[in-house]
Amino acid sequence: MNLTTIDYQIDENCATVTLLQPYSNMQMVRDLTSVCNHLEDECAAPIVVIRGSNGHFCRGINFAEFNPDAPMDIHGFNKWEKMCVRIERLPKITISILEGDVIGGGFQLALLTDFRIATSDIKMQLPEVKIGFLPGMGVFRLAKYIGLGHAKRLILQSKSIDAEEALQLGLVDLISDDLNNALGATLARFSPVNPTAVQLARRLLNESFHDSFEDALGHFLAAQHRAISQTSFLKTIKKEQPS
Amino acid sequence: MYPARPRILSVGTAVPPNKYTQQDVISRYRVQNPTIQNIFKASHIKTRHLYLPPADPNGIPNESQSELLKKHRKGAMDIGFQAIEACLKPLGLRPRDIDMLCCISSTGFMLPGLTAMFIKHFGFRTDCHRMDLVGMGCNAGLNGLNPASSWAQANPSKLCLMVCCEINSALYVFDEKIGTGVVNSLFGDGCAAVLLRADAKDQKRLAPEIIHFSSHIIPDTWRAMSYHWKDEHNKFSFYLDRDVPYVLGSHADKPIKKLLDSLDLKVRDISHWIVHSGGKKVIDAIKYTVGLTAHDMRHTIAILQNYGNLGSGSFLFSYQRLLKEGLVHRGDYGVMMTMGPGSTIETALLRW
Repeated sequence: MNLTTIDYQIDENCATVTLLQPYSNMQMVRDLTSVCNHLEDECAAPIVVIRGSNGHFCRGINFAEFNPDAPMDIHGFNKWEKMCVRIERLPKITISILEGDVIGGGFQLALLTDFRIATSDIKMQLPEVKIGFLPGMGVFRLAKYIGLGHAKRLILQSKSIDAEEALQLGLVDLISDDLNNALGATLARFSPVNPTAVQLARRLLNESFHDSFEDALGHFLAAQHRAISQTSFLKTIKKEQPS
Repeated sequence: MYPARPRILSVGTAVPPNKYTQQDVISRYRVQNPTIQNIFKASHIKTRHLYLPPADPNGIPNESQSELLKKHRKGAMDIGFQAIEACLKPLGLRPRDIDMLCCISSTGFMLPGLTAMFIKHFGFRTDCHRMDLVGMGCNAGLNGLNPASSWAQANPSKLCLMVCCEINSALYVFDEKIGTGVVNSLFGDGCAAVLLRADAKDQKRLAPEIIHFSSHIIPDTWRAMSYHWKDEHNKFSFYLDRDVPYVLGSHADKPIKKLLDSLDLKVRDISHWIVHSGGKKVIDAIKYTVGLTAHDMRHTIAILQNYGNLGSGSFLFSYQRLLKEGLVHRGDYGVMMTMGPGSTIETALLRW
């Protein structure tokens, strides 16, 4: 892998993706997609951490890289969304560590992960609508996290929120300025990770707002059958048998 | 030079003229049992095309076994021919141009088989090669496509036509049993034909190459889908075990992995999924086992809703729907997948 916008490290329990630049761009989309391939195909670590660098998580799109004279291209946005779906569906527990600016595309990235740890100095904001465009499929995901009313306030007013408000809304799960400690405790909380069960449960949760109950019941039964057919699940059951 | 792989050059389908909603069927045969009514309504099927008999004086369909066999034959003649014509006409071909004819059916036993009947009536050449593949059920389309494409590969530039003919309304019993209700609410009538040829000059066409196949059978469940002769009805009845969707679902990843591994492909590399419309539960089970989305399954679901389970030709109806959508690009990979008695899962890898 030849990554230029991110750093990717794996240790026994946890893979860490560090965003090396404050802005998202097409190279970052390609790099994150390559990392998703590796995480799905080769990486054994059950947890992935996504974090920023130099005190900021990510500020999203950089308009300085756009050529205002060239016709605007929707396909780049499509590529971004495809990458988002890949991150959202990884067969791992995903954790983001938020520091400083968590803006635009950075805010969207945070919504893709299963758990968000924030330092007390964060600023979360979706400024797109005031600029005149849309905050990606953040318009779809955010309302599920915080409810339609709060989502309208954040998106339509481009309102920025701090760590405390993000915690209250459920956008942040833990505030800590001792990130090493907070991350260690969080990894312990998620262990042991059963990647299949994680993936199935997360998919059913993500689908819970738009499937009908009858459809969801069918999906649950299909997913549950897959979960209980796993050898690892059967082994656990055997261990519980009285000898 | 590297020999050209067989490609699917064309597809044609046909269904009987009469279309019924689930409520139409319930009303036509005065189904009173609320459980059976609910099975019909909960099947996620909106309409099916069927050859339905009028209700007898007791309000039920009452066809003898010989009438059912005749219906199968006549149905195959009618919509079988329409499907063949729909497949050949766009290429300016006629039955006499075909070098190999394969017919697939599980809804009525005949000797001689459908190929002989089609050759007699439709103008195929008398030196046309033939294969009748009978009694393999819903998965049979890929069990047929496998030898058909091998034949095409072995006989470059020759045309091989494969026809799936299922007249499901020619194989049923009618009673108050739950299992009967499930089967009678599920299947529809339909025929589908595909044309294969291995010829370097077809490379210009946006027609998929058939790369290879992968099969998986689950022998422990060999009776889970099966025909049974019923003396009380004097007919065959189709038995469908309630665990079938989950069993098939939980094994679905095995042949897929084998199919993709040999080219070092991943599920995410597959642009098009052409999956048999077996029923809502088996579609769900495959979605959650293989990790496919509702979008991946859109054609499978649409065919189930509009036609029901069409047996061996179902996946070709989905294939046709995919082509009509116009979103296939050169270089795209597709997977065909059918499931049925055995219990078995059959898969094929395509490349456009």
